Amino acid sequence: MSDIILKVEKLKKDYQMGEITVNAVKDASFVVKKGEFVVILGPSGSGKSTLLNIIGGMDKPTDGEVYFNKELITDFTDKDLTFYRRNQIGFVFQFYNLLATLTAKENVELAVEICQNPIDIDEVLEAVGLGYRADHFPAQMSGGEQQRVAIARAVAKNPEILLCDEPTGALDFETGIQILKVLKDINIKYKNTVMVITHNASIAKMADKVIKMRSGNITEIIKNENPIEPERIEW
Amino acid sequence: MVMKKLDQRLFRMIKNTKGQYIAVLAIIITGIFVFTAVSNSSINLKDSINDYYVETNFADIFVQGLSIPEKLERELPGTNNIKQAEARIVFDTSFITEDKDENVKVRVVSVDKNQNLINKLFIKSGKRTLSNRDIIIIEKFAEARNVFVGDKVKLRINGRQQEFNVIGIASSSEFAYMMENEQTFLPDPKNFGVVFLEENYLRKIYGTNGNFNEILIIAKDEKYIEQTVDFLEDNFDKYGVTRVIKRQDQHSNNLLGQEISGLEMMSKSIPVVFLTFAGVMLAVILSRIVKKDRTSIGVLKALGFTDIEIIIHYLKYAAIVGLIGGFLGSIIGTALSGVMTNYYLVFFSIPMLTVKVYYYRIIISVVLSLLFCTASGFWGVKAIIKINPAESMKPEAPKKGKRIIIENIKIIWSRVPFTWKIVLRNIFREKKKFIFIGAAVAITCGMMIMTTWMIDIIDVMFNRHYREFMMVQYNISFNGFTNENVLNELSEHLSIDKMEGRTELPFEIENGRESKIATIIGLRENTDFYGFKNTDGNKIKLPSNGILLSSNLAKSLNVNVGDRILIKSFISDKDVYVTVKGIVNQVLGINAYMNIDYMNNKFLDKGLINGAYLNSKDNVKSKLDDMKNITIQSQDDMIKAFEEFTTATAVSMGVMVVFSGILGFVIVYSMTLMSINERTLEFSSLRVMGFSKKEIFNMLVRENTIMTLIGIVAGIPIGLWLVDYMGKSFTTDIYTMAEPVNPISIFVSIILTIIFIISAQLMTYVKIKKLDFMQALKSRIT
Repeated sequence: MSDIILKVEKLKKDYQMGEITVNAVKDASFVVKKGEFVVILGPSGSGKSTLLNIIGGMDKPTDGEVYFNKELITDFTDKDLTFYRRNQIGFVFQFYNLLATLTAKENVELAVEICQNPIDIDEVLEAVGLGYRADHFPAQMSGGEQQRVAIARAVAKNPEILLCDEPTGALDFETGIQILKVLKDINIKYKNTVMVITHNASIAKMADKVIKMRSGNITEIIKNENPIEPERIEW
Repeated sequence: MVMKKLDQRLFRMIKNTKGQYIAVLAIIITGIFVFTAVSNSSINLKDSINDYYVETNFADIFVQGLSIPEKLERELPGTNNIKQAEARIVFDTSFITEDKDENVKVRVVSVDKNQNLINKLFIKSGKRTLSNRDIIIIEKFAEARNVFVGDKVKLRINGRQQEFNVIGIASSSEFAYMMENEQTFLPDPKNFGVVFLEENYLRKIYGTNGNFNEILIIAKDEKYIEQTVDFLEDNFDKYGVTRVIKRQDQHSNNLLGQEISGLEMMSKSIPVVFLTFAGVMLAVILSRIVKKDRTSIGVLKALGFTDIEIIIHYLKYAAIVGLIGGFLGSIIGTALSGVMTNYYLVFFSIPMLTVKVYYYRIIISVVLSLLFCTASGFWGVKAIIKINPAESMKPEAPKKGKRIIIENIKIIWSRVPFTWKIVLRNIFREKKKFIFIGAAVAITCGMMIMTTWMIDIIDVMFNRHYREFMMVQYNISFNGFTNENVLNELSEHLSIDKMEGRTELPFEIENGRESKIATIIGLRENTDFYGFKNTDGNKIKLPSNGILLSSNLAKSLNVNVGDRILIKSFISDKDVYVTVKGIVNQVLGINAYMNIDYMNNKFLDKGLINGAYLNSKDNVKSKLDDMKNITIQSQDDMIKAFEEFTTATAVSMGVMVVFSGILGFVIVYSMTLMSINERTLEFSSLRVMGFSKKEIFNMLVRENTIMTLIGIVAGIPIGLWLVDYMGKSFTTDIYTMAEPVNPISIFVSIILTIIFIISAQLMTYVKIKKLDFMQALKSRIT
């Protein structure tokens, strides 16, 4: 039990859109162990991003509980959630979301400035293979490079969990594979727990655990005994 | 350390929006510098005058009489709240110049040989100790006439030419604003001055038998001055007291006070307009930036930045504007307050005029500007709190494309070309922004109207007064009352077009509790020299009995036609009730008018006059040079003095025009820049469709043109309101500023407004030309 970092129990999230109530997440329960590489797989609209946002402390559930290291984060105040995001969570978004007026290195430094136990920035930039692009602005970089900066920004904070929302969604196949490799390397090197959201079933092959979602429900949780190397993934 | 990278982002954000940033900074600087310059000037002026009054022991009460015995100097102190008293001789006479055509008048004032007790002289050059044939000349007059210490000057005293040695040039606190009397409206130092002669010697040559005609009084306690004045009025009839004037009513002091009030009003009103616009602009700019940065803000929140940290990050944008604007504005303002204070030296003679640097006011200005900008900024960034990080990652839902009102009128809408449809939709969808542009144009236009009106009104007022109301070429005053027969004597010397005798005397006029000292002018019933019109603009005749009051006098006494008012004479005990027969429009001066026969009947003897109005083609001044005991005021002299005055004011009015223009220019420029930045995607799509840069620019121009037109239409009533407000604020005993705005002024204001707006538009074209539209379509970086 002690190696469980995240426990989600009977999680439910409803949205009100005009007069219609959308049940984005209906009843989700699962656990994630420390250092696991987890893929949440599902088509668009299945509720996976909503789930990830709640786990990451960016949104609050309608019902249910989320425990992070035995702490009930669903009871957290906004302020507690801010510090939770600041110190425990690293986010990687589909569209990178770098700050355009800061260079690659500055984007990473920005995140590091506010957290407690950061990793050396140059080391992280090297780890994502971008040491030579540190002083470039986002507009001067390709999508893959921007996403690697985004990963470096998330990793440098030394978070316990790295949450990645469709990290390859906006990239071509080859770049996508590079990004997945970076994520796997980070997972191994820094022993972070990594959770990747995707609609791409091929990516699930590299995960230790796959959580399948459809229409707001978890349909299946598969433990993958033999995850493959990212380089061997094809789609 | 914590916010270091965010600060870096902030400076790059400022760099990227530098056009708008400089624009808002310019408005803040203008607002703060007007505030600092004007309020510092008023403080400088006020402090300097107070210091000057203290230093020179400026009198609390001035008593004018016919024959005041010297013994009062000793008897009065210690009684009736009187601390000090000093008697003197004061009279006006001719200053003889080499040019025979000139008629220069001086006021001769007797002073103690060494130093007088009250209204001490402030020696600028030379010495103060006077011997018999020595004279001290007031500085403004000496400057205007090029008189220096060591020169000799000639005066006509008691009918004889007397020569004096100039031993000193001095200033005097009672002549800081050197005006001849209440009937003159501007100082004319070339033709009117003040000179000081040794008391005993003057008594000898002037022949007053040891008596004086004025006594100056310093009160023990300011609180009881009214009682002292009452005592003097009630008990001094035996000395032929004509007027008891309190310090606040003393002509020079009164005018200085009015000038300071005007400055104080200006220091409060103009900066408020500028700062309000700067505040709204900052709020608009920041709210737009926050909207544009929605995803970035979401990312910052996701990274673990608190709402407060993010709000502070954006508020620094406003705070830096406030700090720089407040600092530069107050520094420029302090520097300019020196220039402005010195500008007053054109009119006022205040030797102790000090231009101080008020460090505490600089600090106050900076702090106020900082607080104001931060508060305005907060209004713009408060939406940050509502941004949900999870939501902000998703593209924002497109704006509701609801139809605008005009679209419902199908017949019109179907005929509107496509580009105009975009223009109209944009205006209706971004109402707040366009209302702001319209408001800026309206204020600019309104302020232009007010300024052009002020330039115009001085001219109009003079013309109205001297060409329509009082058509007098020469106003001759006799030293005392004389028989009407003197007019025959005048006609012998001159070829006269028109001439009438007149009486001019100050009276205290009362209506219940209201009371005012004003000059009543007695005129022939069918006078040719005055064109009286009532407040409705209809001509009225001078009635055979009763009284006409100038509109400002009627207002200050709260009197209407038909009311009965009490008129108290200073030269006799006759207090008479008369009926107000009419209220006349008079733009300069505060007066009342009576039929001369009726006036003489009530207060004087039949056939007496103390002056005459005449129109003549002769050079009256030189032809009447030999006549004793008269002073001549010519309309030409007044107009010349006025022209000098308008040149000086034209500069400050020009500055006002520029300020008004800056406001419109800056707001239109920055708001258009903002539009360009926000709509690059839209413009890029249009470019892809084949629109040229010029066509896109024209679209922006059309949007602004519509708002400029609406702004101008709204600006006209704002301008008229400002004119009314300024007119009421600046109306004093001397000026009645109630002239309507000339349509040409409105036209000029509109043209000036349009010029400023067009310049702003042309500046934004540079930005349109530089924009890389294609790049905007390619990337999506927050």
